[in-house]
Amino acid sequence: MQRSKRFEILEDRPVNKDGFVKEWPEMGFVAMSSPNDPKPSIKLENGKITELDGKKREDFDMLDQFIADYTIDTTITEQVMALDSIEIARKLVDINVPRSEIVELSKGLTPAKLLEVLNHMNVVEMMMALQKMRARKTPSNQCHVTNVRDNPVLMAADAAEAGLYGFDEQETTVGVVRYAPFNALALLVGSQTVRGGILTQDSLEEATELRLAMLGLTSYAETISIYGTEPVFIDGDDTPWSKSFLASAYASRGAKMRFTSGTGSEVQMAGAEGKSMLYLELRCVMMAKGAGVQGLQNGSISCIGIPASVPSGLRAVLAENLATMIFDLEVASGNDQTFSHSEIRRTAKMLCQMLPGTDFIFAGFSAVPNNEDMFAGSNMDSSDLDDYLIIQRDLMVDGGLKPVDEETVIEARYQAAKSMQAIFDELGFPAITEEEVEAATYANSSDDMPARNVVEDLKSAEQIIRDGISGFDIALILAKRGYRQTAERIFDMLKQRVAGDYLHTSAIINKDNLVMSAVNDENDYSGPGTGYRLSPERWEEIKNIRQAISPKDFD
Amino acid sequence: MTTSTFTIDMKLTEIGQATKGTNPREVIVVLGPAFGKELNKTIVKLDHATVLREILSGIEEQGAVPKVIRSLRTADLAFMAHGAAQLSGSGISIGLQSRGTVVIHQRDLDPLSNLELFPQSPVITLDMYRKIGQNAAKYALGESPNPVLVVNDAMTRPKYQAIAALLYLKECQSLIPHQKPVELKAEFSITE
Repeated sequence: MQRSKRFEILEDRPVNKDGFVKEWPEMGFVAMSSPNDPKPSIKLENGKITELDGKKREDFDMLDQFIADYTIDTTITEQVMALDSIEIARKLVDINVPRSEIVELSKGLTPAKLLEVLNHMNVVEMMMALQKMRARKTPSNQCHVTNVRDNPVLMAADAAEAGLYGFDEQETTVGVVRYAPFNALALLVGSQTVRGGILTQDSLEEATELRLAMLGLTSYAETISIYGTEPVFIDGDDTPWSKSFLASAYASRGAKMRFTSGTGSEVQMAGAEGKSMLYLELRCVMMAKGAGVQGLQNGSISCIGIPASVPSGLRAVLAENLATMIFDLEVASGNDQTFSHSEIRRTAKMLCQMLPGTDFIFAGFSAVPNNEDMFAGSNMDSSDLDDYLIIQRDLMVDGGLKPVDEETVIEARYQAAKSMQAIFDELGFPAITEEEVEAATYANSSDDMPARNVVEDLKSAEQIIRDGISGFDIALILAKRGYRQTAERIFDMLKQRVAGDYLHTSAIINKDNLVMSAVNDENDYSGPGTGYRLSPERWEEIKNIRQAISPKDFD
Repeated sequence: MTTSTFTIDMKLTEIGQATKGTNPREVIVVLGPAFGKELNKTIVKLDHATVLREILSGIEEQGAVPKVIRSLRTADLAFMAHGAAQLSGSGISIGLQSRGTVVIHQRDLDPLSNLELFPQSPVITLDMYRKIGQNAAKYALGESPNPVLVVNDAMTRPKYQAIAALLYLKECQSLIPHQKPVELKAEFSITE
């Protein structure tokens, strides 16, 4: 066949490098609705659930049992289940129905019932509901700060820069596992150099991650994964009970934590049991609720390529974010992994969370270049920051970030690198040279950094865990070496651990060291003029991008 | 660019349940349940016949002795290969899924550990399959080869994650519960 020139141009477009597949419901390769999804039902005997979504208690798997016994409120479930699903869907969109009423209803929903509700809604209705249902009134954002060489000087400088952009949570992970304590330290020091209150995380194997949190080198965790079918859950040597236990280990030490789940994971592991991706994810959301955690990171996360390949897949991803909010949980709403070669497509997806606002619009906007992102690349990276800031300004939307000026960034990066230099010096770790400080101050990526002696670094990194070098030790060193402000901010973070206020749902800590959560910053959206509105100060911040020309420039 | 006009045909014949080997030069290649059967091409459309021939040639040219078996009760790469390593006379095995994902395993390792793993099937070339065969042979003969260079591409997820899942699901449809692996006779014929 002679090729159409127009088709040849289309085929060269980035979107055609993405993978698309037809639905295959028998294997669960379907976004929001499979013929094998159960029909909603509930039966109670003596206050105990004996039937859930068409399944008798004796046939329950451990997920059904957990949800029936710990999530669903038996005092109201029959009343809620008697409501028409479309009526619940309309309540979600209706500005005259307050958020609190929906949260009350959520206590009686079953996974299959909520699935029906969400299937009645289009994406604009879901975004309307997101705007109302988000637990914290003020939207926010999280970033990834990593580099391929785990260079601690660069990481601290990158964390400082990300702090200036306004990310309230920063997440790192490792290339080489044994570098983990350095990465936690770099993130802590870099973030607190520019502003107090930034929460930091080091995503690792669970025992090490918990240990670093207990040392006060990190302040939250989120990569505690749960799954929507029993075989996949067991595959990870876990149960909903073991995950609940881990959650309480964090909480009891004053560290914030949330679970992680997402559509597509069960398909990827060939354990979907023929159910739709969204149905399985709703079971995860309800397990998170039953476990008593304050929040959930979802929106497919690392399996995003799977829902993104099927019809209505990105709608399902939005629906899972909404479901999390309906259960009054904090949501860190994905957008944290590459899923498309197309700039149009990745922007379209991101707007679903950015426009209505979520607790964390990205569960990791890569604050570094994507080839430095050790989470395998985010939906947006440091080269997209100006686009993002300008979209905020164009649409008068708070995406959680603010414009920065180059000089301030350079100064902050320098201060963060110098602080690391002082800490390494005091602890007798391999010296950070002036050349390294200089390189980190102006660097884009680890290519710009002089090589470090990895073997010697790793010995010192291990020493942090072995000797139990804590956040308090770091604060003392910084105070001694003249970095008093950073020292005080780190000390304040430790005080937060004792107070525990930031364990409340959707908590972030502002620059004045005040916790803002669903408790004291409750979302009260009920239509135009209510809920979150940009303050005049915040709007000034968003407006003033460095690229805008002023009439004054022409005098 | 050379235009090769030949095709390689592969005939896999089941010759009974796989037994424990005694030849210390033996390397077992364990195939996924659907390999060369219900599925015939990898995720990047490499013929299974060509891929397997490269691996077997790589093993042979280093002086080891390949044996081919098929996993039936699991399609999980780690468990396929770990099981095969227990049967291998040298303790070394290569696991190969239909989508092309491949691992070199050793008897004494934990199932989820490995000697060399190539998790991103779309970036594995025929040349790499041959080198993987060579390296497995070297491990069997007691050498410590340099690992075959792993390629990393951050954009393989957008392009291939869904298709990889699809191929794994198809592979799983050929599973036979509780069935032990079978030994295969692999014959190749080249037609110009």
